[in-house]
Amino acid sequence: MINRFSIIVLILLASISEVIGKIDLAILPTRDTVQLTIYNSADLTLARESRALTLKKGLNELQFSWANTLIDPTSLEMQALKNADKIDVFDLTFPQRVKNLGLWNVQSEVSGYVPVEISYLTSGLSWRAFYMGTLSDDEKVMRLQGYVRVQNNSGEDYANAQTRLIVGKVHILDQIAQLARREQPYGRPTGQILRRDRSSGLKHKAQIEELDVMVTSSDSAVDASMVIEAKQVIKEGLSEYFLYTIEGTETITNGWAKRLPSFNVDEIPVVNLYKYEEEMYGRGTIRFLSFKNDEDHELGETPIPGGAMKVYRHVDIESHLSYEGQSSFKYIPVGEKVELNLGAVSNVVVTPTLMDYKTKNYRFNSHRDIKGWDEIRDFKIEVKNTRDVAIKVEIKRNFNTSYWDIEKDGPFDTFEKVDKDTVKFTLELEPQSKKVFNYTLTTYHGTRREEVTQ
Amino acid sequence: MKINFTHRVTLLSLGLALCLTTALQARIKLVALPERAATIVRLDNPSATLIEEERVLTLQRGVNKVDFSWKGVSVDVDSIRMLVISHPKEVTLLNVSYPPNEAALVWEIASEKDYVETVRISYLLSNIDKLITYKAVADKDETQVDLKSYIILRNFSGEDFDKAKVLLDYGSSFERDIKHEETKQLLFLKKEGVPITKVWKFDSRTTPWDPEKMPDKNIGIPVSYRIKNTKEAKLGEFALWGGKARLFQDDGSDSTIFLGEDNSAMVPVGEKMELYIGDSRDIVVTQRKMREPQVNIKKNNSDGVVLFDKDVLITAKIENFKDKPATLTMIQYIPGEWEMEKCNMKYEKKNANILQFEIELPKRSEEGPAVKNLEMNYLLKNLRK
Repeated sequence: MINRFSIIVLILLASISEVIGKIDLAILPTRDTVQLTIYNSADLTLARESRALTLKKGLNELQFSWANTLIDPTSLEMQALKNADKIDVFDLTFPQRVKNLGLWNVQSEVSGYVPVEISYLTSGLSWRAFYMGTLSDDEKVMRLQGYVRVQNNSGEDYANAQTRLIVGKVHILDQIAQLARREQPYGRPTGQILRRDRSSGLKHKAQIEELDVMVTSSDSAVDASMVIEAKQVIKEGLSEYFLYTIEGTETITNGWAKRLPSFNVDEIPVVNLYKYEEEMYGRGTIRFLSFKNDEDHELGETPIPGGAMKVYRHVDIESHLSYEGQSSFKYIPVGEKVELNLGAVSNVVVTPTLMDYKTKNYRFNSHRDIKGWDEIRDFKIEVKNTRDVAIKVEIKRNFNTSYWDIEKDGPFDTFEKVDKDTVKFTLELEPQSKKVFNYTLTTYHGTRREEVTQ
Repeated sequence: MKINFTHRVTLLSLGLALCLTTALQARIKLVALPERAATIVRLDNPSATLIEEERVLTLQRGVNKVDFSWKGVSVDVDSIRMLVISHPKEVTLLNVSYPPNEAALVWEIASEKDYVETVRISYLLSNIDKLITYKAVADKDETQVDLKSYIILRNFSGEDFDKAKVLLDYGSSFERDIKHEETKQLLFLKKEGVPITKVWKFDSRTTPWDPEKMPDKNIGIPVSYRIKNTKEAKLGEFALWGGKARLFQDDGSDSTIFLGEDNSAMVPVGEKMELYIGDSRDIVVTQRKMREPQVNIKKNNSDGVVLFDKDVLITAKIENFKDKPATLTMIQYIPGEWEMEKCNMKYEKKNANILQFEIELPKRSEEGPAVKNLEMNYLLKNLRK
């Protein structure tokens, strides 16, 4: 394994430094522990590592370098974990003409081993959630398995890292990868013409190409390791985020990815929901699987991070599967409804038909020009469920005007005015059944609008 | 490559014997190169860096010429000034002249006696500046932060400074060697337990109204931390410079998470710093326009509508899915001339068109999210076709 970080402690004994200058006691302390907090809404990871340094009383110079990694030098911080009041981090210097290197001046009142923590933000580590849903053959319940996949393209191998994942949308001003690639950690004062370091740019390109190759080859290796013992994922809310802490530690080598199980719920009651809204989905019917992130649905402990989901269905007693479709969904807070869009279907059909069209109540001005009228449309909505399972259908109709009245009739279950020009009908259909309902829409135009609203 | 020169700023004193004409035609740069003594890098102006350096000149009785030249650095010529320190009454600066085609100037100094004179030369130097950054670590309850502020000194001026005293307009000074092309980060402010207020803000002008119309996307409610620059908040001694702030939170397990980052403008004493950290997806606002018919219509003699009002009903459903209570600041914008007919929540009118609601949201219960419904019915008045 390649460890691309190095730390060298150069100790300046304050009392004798003027006489003998630097005493180059070079020690390379190993990384004792490392914790990675990986974000998914931005290319961002907070790394925190502890190392035991040997400090002498007086001024110590600590050199930290990170060639070929993607760490943001402006985020570097060091603090002593013991004797913090006796160890003063004077400053951090990014010296001239040396890239990817920082020098801490540390004044210590103690000598000997001192555990320190070095933290920084790095780019190149990422994670995403994905899900597998398996419906029962009657499609009333679904087994939901959640996974997270952690990818390391950071340029650094992280051995035995405590791995934590953050769910939430973080606000950042600059991309960490860009900060990591800056020629100067904080840029130059305005007005300076930046020089290009051609050699480092080429090196980076080569590095990325190398990583791409490694990523391609990593999947099969990860799949082979899928049989590892499942680990617990501890979940807790912090500020506007959710923190997933994976039990124990993980070794995530640069270029590799790792799939980890997040949760597994056996029987979530689901509703087969179908939606029809011409302005949103065109003239097709869209299938959704709906459930709630709450206790009634065997969930509700934590929000569900957004991700892709593949839905399968048991088709026989031997648990053979059929693939129902794929959906991606957004972050679902606790208590919120999930609607998985599985795409257009042809086995549930909604057919709106204009059965009659009339105009009436014409109004004329003094020149006998038309100044107002009503339009009356009779619609028949036919809803067919050709499936062997019971379903729920939502039909939205948009009227393009806020001056309207509606009369409706038929076996729909609920009717709701959604906003000034949208209504929603909801129906439940038994397997292999059909329902037909009607509505008459009257829209008011010209001065008729005034008459009906005055 | 760094410009390589030993003395980019040189100071020469010339003897009394040299006559004016000689100096103008061919300046002889003489011998004693006075050492730079104390140097101050003053960073209190946001747009320019002032260098003050002291030099010891050996002056002879009469008129002395002092040559000041520079190479490879960018000095604002009109900013160069000299202050006589040791014998200000006996030593007089007579004039300044600029030799042709040179980055230099010549001072004529009259001295009443032979003096070893300390002078302070100051000038504005380009490509050396400072940035300010903040790091705040909030406690787990998000009621206070430990605040640190760093000065980032960037020296790309072409000049090395040995043991320079670095000054801001507040705080203690630092003494450091600052090399050309070097960037230095120094901690200059550390305050623990600074109280904060967490703010969720829905702005009807910028936040999408109806999440159902964006089924694949979470509509976040922006979240900020508000820090007051006051004595009560353990600050308030001086204005806080603008800069990038990174916010972290103690996770209760001897570690932190990164909450987000924002740029702060300069915050004068008594004012507030508001740092946007990220979006909450656990507070959901669904705002809809339920009606807006034209009413109170006025017509001209040709029966054309010339003036009317609109009767607008806005509803907003506010849901808190969090397991903690929250106060949502809701900004509603009503353009033009208007009159509120009915509103079921209190608001503060911030200006002619902006209304601010402070909506207390309890935490979610076992039944589901805590829900509040705003209904706002107003007339948009005197609209014209």
